[in-house]
Amino acid sequence: MDIVKETKIPEAGWTQHYDVLRELGHCYTSVGEYEKARECYDKAAVLAPDEAAPYIGFGVIAMQTGELADAETAFKVARRLDPECSKAYCGLAMICQQRADAAVAFDLYLKSLELDSDNLTALLGLFQSSCAMGSFSKVIYYLQVYLDEHPGDITVMFCLATLQLKDKQPQKAKELLLNVLALDANNTDAANLLEEVEHTLAQECRS
Amino acid sequence: MTYNNRQSCGPLVSVLISTYNRPGYVREAVASILRQTYPNFEIILVRDGGTPVGDIAGEFGDERLIFIDRDQNRGLPYSFNEALSRAKGMYVTYLGDDDIYYPNHIDVLVDALQSWDEYGVAYSDLYKVNCRVTEDGRRIVLSKNVEISRDFSRMTMLRFNHTLHVSLMHERELLERAGGYNEELNVLMDWDLTRKLVFYTDFLHVPKITGEFYAPVPVDEEQTSYSTPQGDCDRISVKRREDTNDFIRNMLTIRSTRPPKPWPKVEDMSLILLTERLDEATEEVLRDIWSHTFYPCQIYLPLPQEDLSRLRTVVPNIMGVPVSAGASETQRVDTALECCEGDYVAIVPRDFEVGREDMPWIESALQPLMNCDDPNQAFELPASSRQCWAAVFRREQLRRARRLGGHLALAESVAAAGIKLRKPAVEEYPLQFDNLMTGAEEIEKQGDWARAVEVFEYLARNYQNELWMKTRWANALYHAGQYEHAARIVGEVNSKRPTVSTLLMEARAQRKKEDFWGAVDLLEKAKQILEGSELAWTL
Repeated sequence: MDIVKETKIPEAGWTQHYDVLRELGHCYTSVGEYEKARECYDKAAVLAPDEAAPYIGFGVIAMQTGELADAETAFKVARRLDPECSKAYCGLAMICQQRADAAVAFDLYLKSLELDSDNLTALLGLFQSSCAMGSFSKVIYYLQVYLDEHPGDITVMFCLATLQLKDKQPQKAKELLLNVLALDANNTDAANLLEEVEHTLAQECRS
Repeated sequence: MTYNNRQSCGPLVSVLISTYNRPGYVREAVASILRQTYPNFEIILVRDGGTPVGDIAGEFGDERLIFIDRDQNRGLPYSFNEALSRAKGMYVTYLGDDDIYYPNHIDVLVDALQSWDEYGVAYSDLYKVNCRVTEDGRRIVLSKNVEISRDFSRMTMLRFNHTLHVSLMHERELLERAGGYNEELNVLMDWDLTRKLVFYTDFLHVPKITGEFYAPVPVDEEQTSYSTPQGDCDRISVKRREDTNDFIRNMLTIRSTRPPKPWPKVEDMSLILLTERLDEATEEVLRDIWSHTFYPCQIYLPLPQEDLSRLRTVVPNIMGVPVSAGASETQRVDTALECCEGDYVAIVPRDFEVGREDMPWIESALQPLMNCDDPNQAFELPASSRQCWAAVFRREQLRRARRLGGHLALAESVAAAGIKLRKPAVEEYPLQFDNLMTGAEEIEKQGDWARAVEVFEYLARNYQNELWMKTRWANALYHAGQYEHAARIVGEVNSKRPTVSTLLMEARAQRKKEDFWGAVDLLEKAKQILEGSELAWTL
């Protein structure tokens, strides 16, 4: 087959079959078809035995179906295959959180965010575990990094405002909540928190 | 079109297949021919040396299979010429010994050629299948892509091949007229075929996928990441290209091939090289012309007989034109012009820098002339200057100018005859599509996706290759974050001809929009294609 020049087509790498199976697994997981998702991940893992993504998929399904031990095994396999896999650390953190081990969960979420500061699941998990532990400075840093990359993300803005209030920064929290309400005037959570922030500020003024 | 029995069938088709040391795969290849919905064909299977396959040929027990068994390995061109000598079909098509047809292959191409009788060649699209080969020879599919899907362009085909050999069907008579395969070639023999055929007919592109060709991925022990495989495929033709000198020899042989006339589809060009003597500089410019000219031409060299008798160049297609010693430049031109057979005549002085820039040199002036309706227009070459003047004319135009102004210098006689000369604008150069594509791909590399969207949209709206360009346009839209628009454009492609990569692209756009069920439907189709061949999925 002698061809001098080839038509270049995107999405055409040698990993295409694996990509299709992995994406299909993700979509089946999203619609709750876990058995079909598992089949896809099984085939993807055979095609690409060194890739972590199918094991992340197995782990997510096991989490969804409440099989924490299986989920832990899957996320550990993923971490072994790819020690830089943010999602593997995030999954392990979620398991620790479900087991009420907030301190370990916090460290794993932190590791996950070090590897990928864009991982929203890890960010929100870090927020929850920090609330449980009463330790805010690190999570505030990561929330701010995330917001620099994704300005206007209301969920993260709200989390950050909550932590700022807990960290005794009510003025910053107020500014952030006003921004949230400018983007979403019907956000009752933000409105309620703003009321609490203003109450705190009023108390500070009186004292 | 459906053919229910051989009595009501269409014309006979000869399927040529040459095999060398691939007994495991050739069985599947032949089986895929025998599964065709079109019944009226003959298979001419040539064993080009190597492992015996007589038992495989025999086990099919089909009278349509003709087996030529040869112990000596002579190469594909020889084998195909041997097969052609036995072929009786009105049409000829080919299959690699490790490739497969889908059942519609012959049907689609015969239907195309029968429906449009102005075409003597039709070609479809094929999946290139990258696969991993297991120790027991099974092929595990890694990807299936339509890498070659270009609409026919004669000028492009003269410069490089844009069709796949296995996707072609042509009238047998055309190849016989062209002189068959060139047995001196060991690579690019399929381009030699298609380039010769463009002299006689237009090609019809049928953008349907009708088969698969396989490209095994080499096992590389150093390879540590699945997502970044190293190396290239191990096909024989790819390996042979590693010998650059041999590759260039083959390429130049093909480019300078002038098949037997008449040429109903290509107008000939004569190039008059003006030099005062035969010296090393002249020989060098001859070599430059040979290596940089892709449009078929004959070089006319007006020199005294004494010089011509010393000419020892390897450059083909040179016609020595004897002139008297001391002949003037216009006398040399006039003498050569009388001999010229080309429809177009180029005048090039010896000191002209041929191929100075990385673009077609003479064709940049020739194509605008071919496209020009004004009989009084001619074109200077882009690098032409007052000191080193080169131009392309219609032959009769220049002859008229010389008849009227034979006493004048060349440029003055051209002006006196009312011939307007100008350099072509860049947008008049040939191969515009390829130039724009190169630019667009550079923009993609820079990550300027918004600009890439504009260029691919322009290409999709203004040039051929609709499905290909829309695919690239949709890809740029996706990367630019315009998921809705990307899904719509690639959806148009998928409604006409879905491929694995376009289905995957549309699915990703749907997923971004959180339409997971929509994405599932598309990905299931992609999965079916990937797992569709019985050879492909054996896990």
